[in-house]
Amino acid sequence: MKTNLTISNITKIYPGCIANKNISLEFESGKIYALLGENGAGKSTLVKILSGVIMPDEGQIFLNNKTLKLNSPVDAKKNNIGMVFQHFNLFETLSVFENLIIDSNETRDNLRKKIISIMEKYNFSIDLDIPVLNLSAGQKQKVEIIRCLIRGPEVLIMDEPTSVLTEQETIELFSSLKQFSEEGILIIYITHKLKEVMSLCDEVAVMRKGELVSISKIVDEKIETLANKMVGQNLKTIKKKKLSTTSSDQLIKITNLNFKSEDPFETNLEEINFTVSRGECLGIAGISGNGQSELFQVLSGEIISDKKSIEFNKNFIGDQNPQQRREYLMAFSPEDRLEQAAVPQMKIFENVALNNFKSSNFFKNGLINESKIKQHAKKIISDFNVNTDNIELKSQFLSGGNLQKLIIGRELITSPDLLICFNPTWGLDVGAINYIHETLIKINQQNKSIILISTDTDELLKLSDKISVIYKGKLSKKMNADEVTSEKLGILMGGGEFD
Amino acid sequence: MTIDINFVGLIIASIMASSVPLILASCGELITERSGVLNLGVEGMMIIGAISGFALMTVTGNLFIAVIGAMLAGVLISTIFAFLTQTLITNHVATGLALTIFGIGISAMIGKNFVGIPGKEFPVLFGNLKDAIPFLSPILFGHSVVFYFAFALPFVTNYFLKKTKIGLIVRAVGDSPDSASNQGINVRLVRYLCILYGGAMCGLAGAYLSMIYTPQWIENMTGGRGWIALALVVFSTWNPIKILIGAMIFGGLTIVQFHMQAIGVRIPVQFLTALPYIVTIIVLVVISRDSRKIRLSTPSSLGKSFYKDN
Repeated sequence: MKTNLTISNITKIYPGCIANKNISLEFESGKIYALLGENGAGKSTLVKILSGVIMPDEGQIFLNNKTLKLNSPVDAKKNNIGMVFQHFNLFETLSVFENLIIDSNETRDNLRKKIISIMEKYNFSIDLDIPVLNLSAGQKQKVEIIRCLIRGPEVLIMDEPTSVLTEQETIELFSSLKQFSEEGILIIYITHKLKEVMSLCDEVAVMRKGELVSISKIVDEKIETLANKMVGQNLKTIKKKKLSTTSSDQLIKITNLNFKSEDPFETNLEEINFTVSRGECLGIAGISGNGQSELFQVLSGEIISDKKSIEFNKNFIGDQNPQQRREYLMAFSPEDRLEQAAVPQMKIFENVALNNFKSSNFFKNGLINESKIKQHAKKIISDFNVNTDNIELKSQFLSGGNLQKLIIGRELITSPDLLICFNPTWGLDVGAINYIHETLIKINQQNKSIILISTDTDELLKLSDKISVIYKGKLSKKMNADEVTSEKLGILMGGGEFD
Repeated sequence: MTIDINFVGLIIASIMASSVPLILASCGELITERSGVLNLGVEGMMIIGAISGFALMTVTGNLFIAVIGAMLAGVLISTIFAFLTQTLITNHVATGLALTIFGIGISAMIGKNFVGIPGKEFPVLFGNLKDAIPFLSPILFGHSVVFYFAFALPFVTNYFLKKTKIGLIVRAVGDSPDSASNQGINVRLVRYLCILYGGAMCGLAGAYLSMIYTPQWIENMTGGRGWIALALVVFSTWNPIKILIGAMIFGGLTIVQFHMQAIGVRIPVQFLTALPYIVTIIVLVVISRDSRKIRLSTPSSLGKSFYKDN
């Protein structure tokens, strides 16, 4: 029998925002459905309603023509609706097996047998007895999927599942999902990534600002048409003009840079050597966890290294801290916007003052020069298109895209010679990604340099002049970006080599 | 100088006896903290247990009622803490400190009528075997039932946390209340129960002090043992077995102090009183070098309030 999931006229209103407005959709097993939309389009709200985490103000859900009342996640589980959230619902310090047995009524032995047979069937390999915090993101996701599969679900909902996965893990996930679908599980796939929708799904529903915009078959759609539906405007496709000749004017030179960590969860950096010229964008590709975050920290001065190992603008600065490096006109945009780049509980204008320069006069005699900072913050907000006019807003209330624009703006407004950024568009929607990309291209054109550490290969190919690949803390040779392809990068990122 | 092994046995037994309240209170607090709740009111709950136990014993004359009553008093006062922190979502630290101050104050008030009243003798188990085996007998035999309970408790607690489903749920709630809630676990209920259990154990620890260890009521008689118990939980990195070891060390310090003075070694009392805290700080410094170990052993949500949004 086919599984049929129908939602009719779902409405959910939060103070000041309509998250879902009269959403009606019908799903049937045997197909993979995409729910597409930008961040904040209301996808997650809808998914939370389907999984019982929140309750709708209006509307009904039917599973196989029976009304479903989902008052809690347990109700969803009981009704065979499995859910894998974007932020995993795992207990990091408990073992994999403990994570799985906690909501199971089976005996230890039976459950273990069941888990092992599921892992064999879908070719998962996870050590059941190590703490979850030792797993990679992809493995954690598999634990979540196993948790759903144990219950033999009729419906499996995946919320932004690839945002933390490497390319290889994504491929594995897709083949698993197709296998589940063939076995009769109804799959609803929530994403804002267009390519994934095109390669994985059969039908797609697009949401925008809480409303359903369209429902269509994938065969009738193209990436451009979906993108337009998603953002509601025609996207400019930006293309970077590559550097025709490499300028010989070296800006930064890294020589024999090493970093040895005492933490077994960090990657050691070995013999890093590279140079970046003025106006060049060096992309550093790699699967996450291969030393990117350590490299970023060493370059930004969060980790101090040998004085001679970093030469910037003819100064040796390896032993300087981030503050001192900023004085030499370096700028940094770390990966984690809320944890590393900004202080979430502080107001926008206060955050703006955090990378204070000696020259900026934000502080006088130990006091904060508030009017000056506010003026500066307003300039950043308007120059960098941050969608708010309230600089008193706590920065945690900015969307990811706006926060990233604010951070990039804060870093760039001082007109640095070199910007080092780490996954600058991670988790952002198309509009914000485009804006960030345009900004990065613009500063390259002003003869400023960029080191772009990113796990998004498309982004790297689009923005970089030169590309290196980091693998297990070692950096590959610099290659010209127009000579490499994503296939070649894939080989290097997996630790392989080609002529 | 010849060493009398019976004398050594007696010293060890007295060290064990002095570590009993620490073990009880720490094991209770450990369960509370494993569920993610930081209750700094241990000292307050202990002193309430102490006065309740002593008062009930004096009034009813029944030791059993007195011990159970002391535990219930601990439960009662911890209910206030649970209601404030879990239902009204107040700050754990501030509420716990208030609880201690409240406990000390109210125990002094109730205790006024009980100062100077002699306690009752608490029955001991295996009293007839007291001299049967040299060295071992004073350690093993002739103690109260609470004593044996205390030394079994760390092992029971360890088994409970590691091997039982409910123990797993407690750890899960302490690790990530949000995930637990999404798994259909009633986080608030689990935390309530863990807080009340902690209260019961602190009450028992207090009753041991006023009814068994020094059978009388003296104002403020817990004398900072609640704080040592709290330090002990951290010292043990939330591991019940290590609580046993730590309690013996900390409890032993006071005993050693007496004997040191007897043989003429002079160490300032203040230093010995401060020693448990100094040791805790040193242990913290040592273990915090290994960030992974800290993450694995510390309840991730410790001290953080849990809200359920709708």
